[in-house]
Amino acid sequence: MFRLAVKSVKHNPKRLVLTAIAVALGVALAAATFTLTNALSGGFHQLFEEIYAGTDVIVEEAPSDTDEDGDQFAAGDSVFTTDDLAAVQAVDGVGLAVGGIQVMGAVLPADFEPSGDLMAAGGAPSQLFNWAGEPRIDQSTLVEGHGPETDEQIVLDVDSAPRLGYAIGDPVAIATDSGVTELELVGLVRFGESNSLQGATLGYMTEATAWELAQSDGYQSISVIVSDGADKDAVATAISDVIPDGTRAITGEDKAAEQAQELDDLLQYIDIFAIAFALIALFVGSYIIVNTFRIIVTQRTREFGLLRAIGVSGRQLRTMILLEALVIAVVASTVGIALGYLGALGLSAVVEAVSGNIFGTVTLPLDALLWGYALGALVTLIAALMPAIHASTISPMEALRESATESKKPLRLRNIVGGALALLGVLAIVVGLYMDVPRPYVYVGAGAMVLIIGVTLLAAQVLVPLAYGLKTLLTRLFRVDGKLAANNIRREPRRSANTAAALMIGVMLLALVSTFTESLKSVVTDQFASSDADFFVLSTQGAIPAGAIDTLESQDGVAFVTSTGIDSAQYDGVGYAVASIDPETADAAFDYNNEPDFDQLDGGVFIDPVIQELGVEVGDQVTLEGAEGSATLEVTGLYLNEGDANFWVDEATGAELFGEYDIIQAMVVLDEGVDAEAAQEQLTEALAADYPLVVLQAPDELAQFANQFIDLLLGVISAMLGAALIIAVLGVANTLLLSVTERTREIGLLRAVGVRRRSVRRMIRIESLVMAIFGTFLGMILGVGLGVALVKALEEFGFSSVAIPWTWLGIYMVLAIVAGVVAAMSPARRAAKLDILQAIAFDG
Amino acid sequence: MTTTVTLAASMRGGTKDYGSGDAAVRALDGIDVDIAAAEFTAIMGPSGSGKSTLLHTLAGLDRLTAGESWIGDQQISSLSEDKITQVRRDKIGFVFQAFNLIPSLTARENITLPLDISGRDIDPAWFDEIIGILGLADRLTHLPAELSGGQQQRVAVARALVARPELIFADEPSGNLDSRSGAELLGFMRRAVKEFGQTIAMVTHDPSAASYADRVLFLADGRIVDEMREPTADRVLDRMKQMGH
Repeated sequence: MFRLAVKSVKHNPKRLVLTAIAVALGVALAAATFTLTNALSGGFHQLFEEIYAGTDVIVEEAPSDTDEDGDQFAAGDSVFTTDDLAAVQAVDGVGLAVGGIQVMGAVLPADFEPSGDLMAAGGAPSQLFNWAGEPRIDQSTLVEGHGPETDEQIVLDVDSAPRLGYAIGDPVAIATDSGVTELELVGLVRFGESNSLQGATLGYMTEATAWELAQSDGYQSISVIVSDGADKDAVATAISDVIPDGTRAITGEDKAAEQAQELDDLLQYIDIFAIAFALIALFVGSYIIVNTFRIIVTQRTREFGLLRAIGVSGRQLRTMILLEALVIAVVASTVGIALGYLGALGLSAVVEAVSGNIFGTVTLPLDALLWGYALGALVTLIAALMPAIHASTISPMEALRESATESKKPLRLRNIVGGALALLGVLAIVVGLYMDVPRPYVYVGAGAMVLIIGVTLLAAQVLVPLAYGLKTLLTRLFRVDGKLAANNIRREPRRSANTAAALMIGVMLLALVSTFTESLKSVVTDQFASSDADFFVLSTQGAIPAGAIDTLESQDGVAFVTSTGIDSAQYDGVGYAVASIDPETADAAFDYNNEPDFDQLDGGVFIDPVIQELGVEVGDQVTLEGAEGSATLEVTGLYLNEGDANFWVDEATGAELFGEYDIIQAMVVLDEGVDAEAAQEQLTEALAADYPLVVLQAPDELAQFANQFIDLLLGVISAMLGAALIIAVLGVANTLLLSVTERTREIGLLRAVGVRRRSVRRMIRIESLVMAIFGTFLGMILGVGLGVALVKALEEFGFSSVAIPWTWLGIYMVLAIVAGVVAAMSPARRAAKLDILQAIAFDG
Repeated sequence: MTTTVTLAASMRGGTKDYGSGDAAVRALDGIDVDIAAAEFTAIMGPSGSGKSTLLHTLAGLDRLTAGESWIGDQQISSLSEDKITQVRRDKIGFVFQAFNLIPSLTARENITLPLDISGRDIDPAWFDEIIGILGLADRLTHLPAELSGGQQQRVAVARALVARPELIFADEPSGNLDSRSGAELLGFMRRAVKEFGQTIAMVTHDPSAASYADRVLFLADGRIVDEMREPTADRVLDRMKQMGH
C-alpha cells in the first residue's frame, strides 16, 4: 500500500505542488520563529554567562513576588550599606567584595538637541555603574585610555562611544533625575569577550560620582570573588547569615541560569504566538488540502473502483490515501523547515546589520523540526481524512462507469451541520465575551473556529442562489463567458465554497484586527481630545524627575501641573498597583472615568473594578502596605476603567506608603489666554538644561503618536497573516487548475464549437473573481462582526465606541480582486492552451 | 451434462432490479447459471439483456436483489462487503474493457498488484511463463500510458492470471481493440484455459469473440434463453439473428 501511495504521488506531482506549498508555508512560519527564538535565547544565555562569568557570588535584593513591573533595565533600590559591604568582606572565604551602584540615567549623544521628539533619546538604554577596576567584577576590560580616576571622569564601551560621537578627552553628557552632568571620557572598555551589549550603552564612573548621580549612599548589589580554593556555595551560604532580611547571596552560575530561564519563559510566549499564526496559516491550508484530495478522489474514481474490484478493501483504500497525504506532508514539512531556517538566517543577518549582534549562532533547533513535522503531518492528515473516507466508499462498480463525475449529493446534511456549527460557534463566542467564565479566550477562540467551519459549510448553499443570481448579471456583462462561469461555480458548490472560505479566514482575521485597532484608535483619540490639559509631560527614559515638574510649575503662564505616580502595595497579601494623584487638580486636567470626581477622595481611596470584584464597596476600610509604611483608608469612590491602577490615593497617602514614588505621567494646564505653541517652546527650553529627556506633547500630538503604534501593531499582525493569505490565493489557483484538468473535455468541446481562447481565459478569470470576492465579503462580515463583539466585551477597559475600518475594508476588497485575477492566471492560461483534438480525446 | 464437472461459480434464482417505482428495471429475472471449472464460458446477448449485470453479480461486484450465488462452494450473496472483497481478492481475476490498469504503476507492478495487496509471494516461474506467452517481457517497466491498447489488455490478462484465481471474469476484453489485437488477446485467454485449466467467464456481444469459448450462454430480458457448445462465429451470429439482434 505504501509503495502504491508513493508511486501515485510521484506519478502526478503537479496536482499536489500547490498543496505542498500551502503546507510548507505554514510550517516555515513556525520553523523560522523557533529558529530565531532559539538563536535569541542562545545569544542571551551567552550574555548572561559572560555577565556572571567572573563573579563567584552575587549579593542582591531577593526577588519578590509582588514586583510585577520588573523592568530589567531599571535600577533597584540601594539595599546595602557600607557596613553590609564590610560584613560581607569579613566572611570567611571572601577574597574580594565590591559594592555595585547602578545609576538611572542616559548618555546623551554628542549632538543631542532637546527637540521634544519622543524618539530622539529613546532606543536601547544606558547602563551606568561604578568602576571597580577589577575585570572580574566590572565584566569589562579597558582597551584604551584608563579607568575613571577622579570624580569628573567616565569610561564608555568601545562601540557606543563612536556611535554617540565621543572620543577620548570629550565631555560626555549624562542625563539623570537630578539634571545633566558632564564627565570627561578617559577610556574605552570592552564588555566581556565581544562587547555584545544588545545595543545598550555601557559606562563606568567612580563610586562617589555614581552615588552622587544616583542620589544614594548604598549599594544595590555586592559582587564577591572567593579566595583561592574556597567553595562558592559554602561562601554564599555563609554570606547569607550576615546580610539584611530580604536580600540573598547566590552564586554567579545560578544567577546566570536563573536569568536565562526567565528569558526563556518570555521567549516561549513568542513561540506560542508564532505557532498560533502558523496554525492559522495551516488551517487555511487545510481547506486547500481538502479540496485537492476531494478533486483527486473524484478524478481517480475509476482507479479506486478498479482497485476495489481486484480485492482492495475500503479500509486499505483509505489507508492508501492517508499515506499519500503523509508523503506530501513529509515532503512539504521538510521544504517548510528548510525555508523557515533560511528565512531565519536571512532575518537574523538583517537584524544584525541594523542593530548589532543580538543572536547567538543560528542553528536549527530540535523544536523546529518536531513542531514542523508534527504540524505539517497533523494538518494534512486531518484535512485528507474526509476525502479518504469518501474514497473508501467508492463501489467497485464505479470502475465500470463511462466517465468520472462527482455524485450530486444534496446539500441538506451539509446545511444542517453547518447551521448547527455556526450557532454553536456564535454561542461559544457570546459566552466567552459576555459571561463570567474562566479562560474566556478559549471559548472565543474555539467558538470562532467552529463558526468558521459552520459558515464554510453554509457558504455552499449561499453560493448556489448567488451564482444563479449572478448568472443574469454576468451574462449581461460578459455574455456566454459569464454564463458558463456562473454555471461552473454552481456545479460544484462545495468545492467553490471551500475555496472561498480559505480566503474568508484570512480576510476575517484582518477585518477583526483592523476593527479592533480602529476602535482602539478612536478611543485613544477621544481620550486625548477630552483632556483639558495643554501638555502631557513624558520621559523618554524611566520616570519623570520630580525636579522637572518643579521647573514646569515655576514657569510663567503655567496654571498648574498635575502628576500621577505609580507604585505597588500589598492589599490582603497580594500586590496591586497604586496610583497617587493630586485630587484638587487631577479632574481639571483629564477626564478620568471615575465616580465621583477625585476632589471627593477626601484622604480616602478609589478602587477599580478588580478590587470591587473582591467584594470591597464604597464605605469599606482597606489597609494598604507600601515599602515605607501602611495606611488604612476609607473607600470613597470608584475608578471605572480596568487596567490602569487598582487603587487611587492622594499624594500625601502615596508619600506615606512609598516615600518617593515614580511619576509616570504629568499634565500641564496653562493660564487662560496663553499661546500653547509659544508655551511649548518656552517650557521645552526651560527643561533642556537639566532634564533633556523630558518632553512635552500636546494631546493631539500624543494621540497621533499612540495611533502610530497601533498602526504598527496592525501592520505586524497583517504581515503575520500574510502567509495565510498567500495560501488562500494559492487555494483559489489550485482549485481552478484542478477543475480545468477535470473539465478538459468540456473545454475542448467549447473550443471545438468555436469559443475563442480569450473567452475561455475570461471564463476562468470570472470564476476566480467571484470566488475571491465572495470569500472576502464573507470574511469581512465575520471579521467586523467578531471585532465589534470583542470591542463591546472590552467596554470596561475603556472601549467606549466601535469604529468600522471602512478604508481598510475597501483596501481588502481591492486586494481580493487583484488576488482573484492573479490566481486565475495560470489556470486560465492552461485552459486556453488546450489542444482541441487532444482535449476531446482526453481520458481522465 | 455438467453433473460430473466441478462448478467455479453458480447462481440460483438470481434477480436484480435497478431503480424503484415506475423507473424500476429488472435486469436479471430469476436466472439460474452454472460456470463450469476449467472452461471458457462466453455470455452473449443484445444490449440491455442483462449480461453485464450477470457478470457483476456473479463476481460479487454488485449485489443481487433476490436469489443466491456461489463462487466455488462459497455462497457470496449474503456475505458482508469486507468478506466479498476478500473473496474477490483471493479467488477472482478481472479483465475489463477499458481502464484496467493503475496509471501510476508500471506494467510489472500492475501485474503483481493482486499478490501485493494480499501479501502473497510471486511464483517467478509462473510469472515468467505468463509474461512469455503474452509477449510482455520487454514492456514490464513501462507505464500504462506508454503501452498500446492491446498491450494494456494483455497486461490486464497477465494480472488476472498471475494470482491463479479460481475464476477470471472478463467484460468485453477485446471491445476496444482492433481485430488483430483482439484475436491475439482472445487466443491467449483460450490457451490459458486449455494449457493451465484456468476458468474464464467472458461477457461479449461480438460473435467472433464468443467463438473462442467452449460454451456460449445466450441472454435476453434477464433470462438464459439458450446455450451452445463448441461455437463458431457463424453459428453464434445465426443464433443472435434469431433473437432479433
